[in-house]
Amino acid sequence: MGRLDEATFAAFHARTARALRAYVYRVVGNASDADDIVQEAFLRMLRADVPANTEEHLRRYLYRVASNLVVDRWRRRRHEMGEERILTEPASPRPRYEDDAAVATIFAELKPRDRALLWLAYVEGESHEEIASSLGVGRRGVKVMLFRARRRLRDLLQARGLLVSS
Amino acid sequence: MTEWFDLDQDDEHAISAFMSRVANLRVPDLGSRTPDPAELWCKAKLLARWEAERRASRPLDIMQPIEIAGGLIAAGLLLYWSIPYL
Repeated sequence: MGRLDEATFAAFHARTARALRAYVYRVVGNASDADDIVQEAFLRMLRADVPANTEEHLRRYLYRVASNLVVDRWRRRRHEMGEERILTEPASPRPRYEDDAAVATIFAELKPRDRALLWLAYVEGESHEEIASSLGVGRRGVKVMLFRARRRLRDLLQARGLLVSS
Repeated sequence: MTEWFDLDQDDEHAISAFMSRVANLRVPDLGSRTPDPAELWCKAKLLARWEAERRASRPLDIMQPIEIAGGLIAAGLLLYWSIPYL
């Protein structure tokens, strides 16, 4: 691929923008912020002039930038609103699992980092190495973080009676 | 696909099922706020050009106060040395 030219970028954008936006939207939970982050991630990728050896390489870079932007945004918001309020969002009263809104609510109760890890692992089907590259963290760290994220999700599902405790 | 640290198999199934529900949730359509690739390309090129201009002019920006300070010191010394002749 070499350096990106405009046509290659347009094709790459067409193939990745929708999936990236779905990922960011699900982690951030807000369409307007997701649009801003997606736009900023593409701009940073272009400005960094990343050598486009493979499309996969570019995609990883893009997801890493977007994930960092998501975490930055979360930290900023936590600073503005105070940690207490963000971490103890009121749980909605026992949503039904069949309801899409309930699924979204349960997922939104996880921390953004957990949401990102779970999305990349289960939805994008990425390996530990790929997740590590997408999030810019170490591979060993990913294993532990992912395990904790899954445990936290399991606890949430159990707390809502959606999972029988084993 | 990822290899996991162990969770109970039932838990794992439940989490997988839940995540496939999450994956299929509706995402609001791309709004008018999302620029197309051509617009992003132009914006990135413009920002890169501004950045290059700023980098190029940085030495001048740094030198300017040094030049002014040097000029003032030189003027002060000239004045000091010329006082006996005034």
